[in-house]
Amino acid sequence: MIQMIKLVFADYRYIILAAAIFVGMVIPLSIISEFIFLEPYVIAYIPNGGEISFFLILVVSVLSGLVLTMNVYRINVFRTRHKKKIGGGLFGSLIGAVAGACSCGPIGFAVISTFGVAGGIATTFLANYEIPIRLAAIAILAYTYYATVKSLSVECKINS
Amino acid sequence: MKKKEMIFSGIIIIAIITIIASISISQSVNESLNLDMGQTHGTVSTAMGSPIFGSVSAPITIIEFGDYQCHQCYNWFHNTKDLVVKNYIETGKANLVFVDLAFLGHDSPNAAAATYCAEEQGKYWEFHNLLYISQEGIDTGWANSERLKAFAFSLGLDMKLFDSCVDSGKFNKRVQYNINEAKKQGASATPTFIIVNSNGQQQKLVGSQPYAVFKDVIDSMI
Repeated sequence: MIQMIKLVFADYRYIILAAAIFVGMVIPLSIISEFIFLEPYVIAYIPNGGEISFFLILVVSVLSGLVLTMNVYRINVFRTRHKKKIGGGLFGSLIGAVAGACSCGPIGFAVISTFGVAGGIATTFLANYEIPIRLAAIAILAYTYYATVKSLSVECKINS
Repeated sequence: MKKKEMIFSGIIIIAIITIIASISISQSVNESLNLDMGQTHGTVSTAMGSPIFGSVSAPITIIEFGDYQCHQCYNWFHNTKDLVVKNYIETGKANLVFVDLAFLGHDSPNAAAATYCAEEQGKYWEFHNLLYISQEGIDTGWANSERLKAFAFSLGLDMKLFDSCVDSGKFNKRVQYNINEAKKQGASATPTFIIVNSNGQQQKLVGSQPYAVFKDVIDSMI
């Protein structure tokens, strides 16, 4: 597994891509979940009871950066036509991102205002099951990571 | 003759009962008439909001737009509010008004209306605090009618009055007025705070921000 990570991230462009995906997820999710405030000035704050939620955001973001980048590498280097794994990575990232995003914040308010009862039901579900949904997203991303590493090692053997 | 007298006196008794009943009903339905309809803080109409918590003459007013089912409001209540109360409200520098922005689930407006039923018995803030202490998931039943009545019972409220108030939906329009006022002020998330000083200067804070932010903003406005 470590070997595969070393292989992919030997090229600095993939490090930049992984970092961009990580930052592109962790910052917006932290803002939406109210761990970072932009006004009246920028401040980061984890309230008591918010530690688990913040930790899960970090894990989802790290795994998303890792899994998506490794799949981009697979597609670029081996010209593979099997894009199921990157789909799994995107799906896991998306689930991890929407969990908890639609509660008391502006997104939840907009969803409820726009979609009425249906929006309310969706918001309620995503807010009430934030942690289990994020755990499910982590499980999907972890499985996709495992499958990607496995397939990379097979593809490397074939090509070498 | 006797029969006529009996009918006549019966009509008078019914008329008296009707007049007394209509006076008492009009007093209870028009409870809002007891409110100061012109009460504003800055640009915000707080006439239908909570009673003022703290000194009425405090130079700063913190207006919180909140929902009893919102977990970020819960976070603010449990992490920031105590310090704001201790350092600004108890010292007479600020007061607090809660205005409902009850938009999360069908139990939110009912919970908000119930706080005004508690206010009728002088226990608005006790009921408000109890709701935030007892908060669970959205629409999971923790704020349904039975639980609201159980909260009232635990605070020692007159249950006959409270039950009839909750069941009649007496304060639904008041809650709706507050929701409309919140939207008018551009509140699109809970909690949203508008901090107003005696000069009418206003500062909006969105979200469950830490005490340090409130301290900085309030200190800069005193």
